[in-house]
Amino acid sequence: MALETVERGIGDGALTGGAPGAWQRALRAIWGRPTSAIGAAIVLLFVALALFGPLIAPYRATDQLPGARWLPPSREHFFGTDRLGRDVFSRVVLGTRDIFALAGAGTLVAVALGTGIGLVTAYRGGWVEELTFRSFDGLLAIPALLLALMLLGTVGPSRQSVLLVIVLVYTPIVARVVRSVVLAIKPRGFIEAARMRGETLGYILGREILPSVLPALTVEAALRFSYAIFLVASLGFLGVGVQPPAPDWGLMVLEARNDVALAPWSLYFPAGSIALLVVGVNLLADGLRRALQHGGG
Amino acid sequence: MSVRDADDRIIQAARRDVFAARLSRREFMRLMSALGLSAGAAALAACGGAATPAPTAAPPGGAPATAAPTAPAPGGAVATLRVATEIPVQLDPALASSDAEILILHSIYDYLVDINARNEIVPRLAREWQVSDDGLTYTLRLAEGATFHDGSPLTAADVAWTFNRLRDPSLQLPTADLYAGVTAVEADGDGTVVFTLSQPNPFFLYDLSDNRALVLKAETTDAATSFNGTGPFKVAEYRPENRMTLVANENYFVAGKPGVANLELIFFADQAAAVDALRGGQVDIAMRMPTPLFETLRREPGLTAVQVPTNGFDLVRLRSDREPGNKPEVIQALKLATDRQAIFETVTLGLGAVGRDSPIGPLFAAYYSEETPIPPRDPARARDLLAQAGYANGLKLDLHVPDSGDRPDLAVVLKEQWAEAGIDVNVIVEPESVYYGENGWLEVDLGITGWGSRPVPQFYLDVMLVTGAKWNESHFSDAEFDELAARAGSTLDEAERVAAYREIQRILIERGPIIVPYFFAALGAIRNGFEGFELRPFPGRTDLAAIRAAG
Repeated sequence: MALETVERGIGDGALTGGAPGAWQRALRAIWGRPTSAIGAAIVLLFVALALFGPLIAPYRATDQLPGARWLPPSREHFFGTDRLGRDVFSRVVLGTRDIFALAGAGTLVAVALGTGIGLVTAYRGGWVEELTFRSFDGLLAIPALLLALMLLGTVGPSRQSVLLVIVLVYTPIVARVVRSVVLAIKPRGFIEAARMRGETLGYILGREILPSVLPALTVEAALRFSYAIFLVASLGFLGVGVQPPAPDWGLMVLEARNDVALAPWSLYFPAGSIALLVVGVNLLADGLRRALQHGGG
Repeated sequence: MSVRDADDRIIQAARRDVFAARLSRREFMRLMSALGLSAGAAALAACGGAATPAPTAAPPGGAPATAAPTAPAPGGAVATLRVATEIPVQLDPALASSDAEILILHSIYDYLVDINARNEIVPRLAREWQVSDDGLTYTLRLAEGATFHDGSPLTAADVAWTFNRLRDPSLQLPTADLYAGVTAVEADGDGTVVFTLSQPNPFFLYDLSDNRALVLKAETTDAATSFNGTGPFKVAEYRPENRMTLVANENYFVAGKPGVANLELIFFADQAAAVDALRGGQVDIAMRMPTPLFETLRREPGLTAVQVPTNGFDLVRLRSDREPGNKPEVIQALKLATDRQAIFETVTLGLGAVGRDSPIGPLFAAYYSEETPIPPRDPARARDLLAQAGYANGLKLDLHVPDSGDRPDLAVVLKEQWAEAGIDVNVIVEPESVYYGENGWLEVDLGITGWGSRPVPQFYLDVMLVTGAKWNESHFSDAEFDELAARAGSTLDEAERVAAYREIQRILIERGPIIVPYFFAALGAIRNGFEGFELRPFPGRTDLAAIRAAG
């Protein structure tokens, strides 16, 4: 798939010089496809909630309203209240920032690190590449959640350790994707030419190779983001991620689990938010993949 | 099994794996047992209970039935009772600790003396007893007609052997400490057993009714698997990790018991799954559950949900032998910043009783005192006190809390209440194996520990608050308190003990580095159509033999 991307990209000359036209066409393609547009709209909605949450939420996430236990959804409490009398709507809204901060920042760092490692080691080749990627293979043989649980068991649960876990779990995956693209274009003429011209390593990686990697990388980053959301929520649900009373969605599901017969809303809304955001990000990633792979067409 | 059941198994397994090996399972079980909590999901604490007694009181014995050979159960009706329990691990009575284990074992074996729902000592294998004037000799006369399931009669020699086993230091059983004050246990003929103590112990009969003090046949070598008891039920089939099937002991020495012909104990890895099974009709009784699930069952037609107050409590404690807890103002500030009534209503949903910062709860009616008032909540004054102690810019504290029962909720509510006094709490929820592992709970500055229900208050003082006590987690050291606790634990003069306990409560309210926000309730539910279900503060001590089909 990645190979195909590169061939096409190079074929129409779109990706050798950072061609802005390709990205504009990709954007147009996303808005033109209903499913992609829905995905983008969902993601934008949550981004807005993350940015303006405190303005939107009627209460603070930790406010325990006296006598307000297990109130059903109403005009005062759109999503009802939980066992401790906290407004579920406010918690869901304010939790958005948490999940973007953790999953988003984790994904960004993992993508940056993975790209760097992938570019350098794959271009240089040799035993460093072998060693790096064989150890990555070993790491990837362990399921992500299990790896995350083991890491958290060692460093103890906290926001920082969740971030660390996302970076550690996803960096190898990104590096592998980058590597596969690099390997495919390394023998090609324009790389050879750049080397003959005596360009530096940084120039070759940054100006010649990276642009070809970007489409695949963008799609990969979007996918990683959706998995990271899921991972953060899973860790919260298992009680080893973000600690109470933070309005982490996974943690909210855990806390509401035993209340499901009495106050289903306290479970359904955070669980639904996780599902909606993951679906949104996936639809967007899918749209990105189609748009970028087919050169916008 | 339900999806939730499967999920929970996976979760529990994962968490166990993650946090495994910080303390061995055996060590963990022993500690949980000692604290009076059940190992595993000790959501015993998931409960509180207003002073509402169980709605159904067990008719003691019921109508004396002459065990006709055709009658399937001495109690009368042909019936099967299916009880959900957690998975038992250790079925040697001397090593058992969890509710499930004790529930199973005291259906098969008998205690010498039992404790009723009102915390009184009542006869079981011993029908009557005498205590010598110096308090050092206990003479108990055994019931006639009690026989082991293999047909052999119970004799005093069996009782003596049982207790000599439990107290033998060379066997290293967890009961050895408990009976360290016993110097001899001897049979006097077949029907009388005599205990000799080294010093008076006003609570010795309660020690005799310890959860693990079940009478075995002398010279039993396979105590974990023989199941040769004198109890109301005989084991028909035991499938580990799945279920145990029992049938009525038609020769049981108590007339009218057991009340059902068949008893099935069905094991669940998770309390929520047990509650689901009760709602779905696969079991008739579930005990021990998180408070919200209890609330769910309360609204379920066809079921009767019962709750009984207990002496168990969740303890918020601050280490008092180093900063910041070594400043009396800090202890005062935490107490003043806490709204116990609000915690009781929010966290335990009003089940149980409000606490007064001492382990001597209202159920210890003779000892409980409200003489010393609890100062009303005053966050502003708490803030002033913190400033006096040198924390004018507020105090930051990590609050360690095990993930069982209502304790995480308690931590979250405390965080909000204390924030008003400028105390910034960082909640850290840990699996029990981590919280109690490597004695971490004895080290941390601020923590919440669950203490299970005990029939007498002295235990809490001796192991939790006396200077240098084994589990003095708050590192409390107070000469006046120590003197009072020693006096209360040894005097045979009840009035003197009452006075000492009253002073102890005053000291703990005034300067003890502990907050007892509530005493939790034991929770359970039974399908309609049975009678005689009387849930106990320690649910494992509930008498299944007293339950019979209604009507």
